[in-house]
Amino acid sequence: MEAVDGWWDDYFWGSMIVLQVFFFSLILMVIFGLIGAAAKLSDNVVAQKIAGAYTIIFRGTPEILVILLLYFGSAITLTAIVQIFSPDTKFVDVPPLWAGTIAIALIVGSYATETFRGAFLGVKEGSIEAARALGMSDLQTFIYVRIPEMWRLALPPFGNHMLSLIKDTALISIIGLNETFFVAKQAIGTTGEPFTMYIVVGGIYLAFSSIVTLSVMGMEKFGARTGEGAR
Amino acid sequence: MTDTLIKMQNVDKFFGDFQALKNINLEVKRGERIVICGPSGSGKSTLIRCINRLEKHNNGHIFIAGKELTDQVKDIDAVRREVGMVFQSFNLFPHMTIVKNLMLAQRLVRKIKKPEAHKTAMHFLERVKIAEQADKYPVQLSGGQQQRVAIARALCMKPEIILFDEPTSALDPEMINEVLEVMTDLAKEGMTMICVTHEMGFARSVADRIIFMDEGEIVEEAVPEEFFDNPKNERTKQFLSQILTH
Amino acid sequence: MDLTLITESVPKILSGIGITFQLMLLSAILGLILAVILLLMRLSGKWYLSWPAQIHIYIFRGTPILVQIFIIYYGLPQFEFVRDSIFWPILREPFGCAVVALTLNTGAYVCEILRGGVLGVDHGILEAGSALGLSAQQKFIYLTTPIAARIALPAYSNDFISLMKATSLASTITLMDMTGIARTIVAQTFAPYEIFISLAIIYMILTWVIQKTFGRIEKYLSHYVNP
Ligand SMILES: Nc1ncnc2c1ncn2[C@@H]1O[C@H](COP(=O)(O)OP(=O)(O)OP(=O)(O)O)[C@@H](O)[C@H]1O
Ligand SMILES: [Mg+2]
Repeated sequence: MEAVDGWWDDYFWGSMIVLQVFFFSLILMVIFGLIGAAAKLSDNVVAQKIAGAYTIIFRGTPEILVILLLYFGSAITLTAIVQIFSPDTKFVDVPPLWAGTIAIALIVGSYATETFRGAFLGVKEGSIEAARALGMSDLQTFIYVRIPEMWRLALPPFGNHMLSLIKDTALISIIGLNETFFVAKQAIGTTGEPFTMYIVVGGIYLAFSSIVTLSVMGMEKFGARTGEGAR
Repeated sequence: MTDTLIKMQNVDKFFGDFQALKNINLEVKRGERIVICGPSGSGKSTLIRCINRLEKHNNGHIFIAGKELTDQVKDIDAVRREVGMVFQSFNLFPHMTIVKNLMLAQRLVRKIKKPEAHKTAMHFLERVKIAEQADKYPVQLSGGQQQRVAIARALCMKPEIILFDEPTSALDPEMINEVLEVMTDLAKEGMTMICVTHEMGFARSVADRIIFMDEGEIVEEAVPEEFFDNPKNERTKQFLSQILTH
Repeated sequence: MDLTLITESVPKILSGIGITFQLMLLSAILGLILAVILLLMRLSGKWYLSWPAQIHIYIFRGTPILVQIFIIYYGLPQFEFVRDSIFWPILREPFGCAVVALTLNTGAYVCEILRGGVLGVDHGILEAGSALGLSAQQKFIYLTTPIAARIALPAYSNDFISLMKATSLASTITLMDMTGIARTIVAQTFAPYEIFISLAIIYMILTWVIQKTFGRIEKYLSHYVNP
């Protein structure tokens, strides 16, 4: 492991990029998931169809392909647009971080669509009616009954979606994101110890997914406790 | 051949700190029909489940046909071959047809050849009046039919005794009688049985002895006439007044 | 959209479908075997069997499959004993490495899926088996396995699709599967839309075929639920 000495700070900054991508993609993923679920649950047939196509496309295509398409596709599209205004431009670079973040958020968002939809439908009408019977208003029912209940149903799969986001971050290195993978490649170039360097990457990702798993477990316990109290 | 088929001596059963059975003493003779009743949670299921080792007793001794029930796998297997059991929720194997449900244990446990196992299966299906359903799957049958299949499945193993754990309490009212009829027939043929049930009509007409349990203890043990007309224990009286009023 | 480019490229891309299939089927079969072994280890009740299985599952589910592929393909040859071992003929080749990585990965996921199936078997059914005198082994073979298989099948089919998609990562270790070929074409023509969208459609068709196939199997296995 001595070979890693001198590379720890690079790994650290690489890890920060993983976190950054995770953070932004998490927000986007929730937004995409909620929009998708709302569209699927809406009465609007067009919205339903679009959301349906969204889930089919992103669940049926390899993650790496989505990332490549978004990255290179947005690059040539942007280049073409820019060339209209300044014909001398050769090539517009799209930051891999953003192309990658959006790509994995779209992918995992397609799974989240089903999770949110299922959670919404999974709330028992009985508990809603019971709340109404107790004299709660629609808004109160929504805040105090439907949301906590949905949260409880959605949390376990949602934890898996977060794990997917963390792990999919690694794929963005393929389009040149300088996260831990990228650090390892550079380190291998000078040290000639690929095993060591990639094991460090694996260790970093394992630590991240463990943190996510533990937090979700903690939240589930918390949810179970408040759930008990409500009964 | 001893006359006593089952003998429980000072049997205790604990679930953690909770004592589900307290100093149970019970003897069942060959050909006897015992009905056990009592309030929910009183330990009725636990008692009969100890007899075929679905639960392990902590203290005391249990003898089945003279053999003591110990930790030895051989003993447990031997006991289970002599003791049939019918559950409240039927527990048929959902992925097998009715006749296959009846053949599986015959073939695996008794090592009986397929044609003979099939013959035995059909014989007992006829006895419970359900032979025409032999090739259907459990979900296709009504609850009463499923429970009759479960009884036939136990009979195929030619047990010395059959334990029933509330065999009719998961059934719709109109199906209860078809199952009780089968059980009454079995009793008439001399099958030894221990039956946990709240069907008091059945208890009165079939049982040789009725046992009343409460809080893990056998509180009262009597022949039906005495049990119903002249119960000795306060708790028994209370239980009977509750159960007979509706 | 350049239609001639698409009509020229699709056959080229499809020439890599054989590798995609080989990776998928080989890893699926080996992964299922591994999953069953891991499951038996977990259910054995012996810590020295159960722990290694759990550690394997924890590691392979907790890290990106790309890291696993790279450690095996680029990492292992760092060691002389690996290069001298009997596994070298497999680990020397990108194809062998991809199969090893995909197998170890899918084995971990499928083990958890199978475990879910086993835990989903109604306890009363197993008790009925015990009461009839079936041994633990007989109960596992004749009751648990068939019932758990049906319970686990929908989740398994999803994992199979994930595996199919993951085969595309073999392109990162120089393997010329469909994705590998598409990437070289894009590098030459710089037409990502035409090439990658065509490829995405091919993968979506594969996904659809897998879903339909498993739907059939599920229907067959469920004949006793909805006869
Ligand atoms: N596996 C177990 N673990 C812990 N406690 C148990 C277990 N099985 C039964 N008990 C407890 O033992 C007591 C007796 O249970 P048992 O099932 O024998 O009652 P029962 O008389 O059959 O009641 P019911 O009429 O509801 O079937 C109950 O208080 C029950 O909660
Ligand atoms: Mg009971």
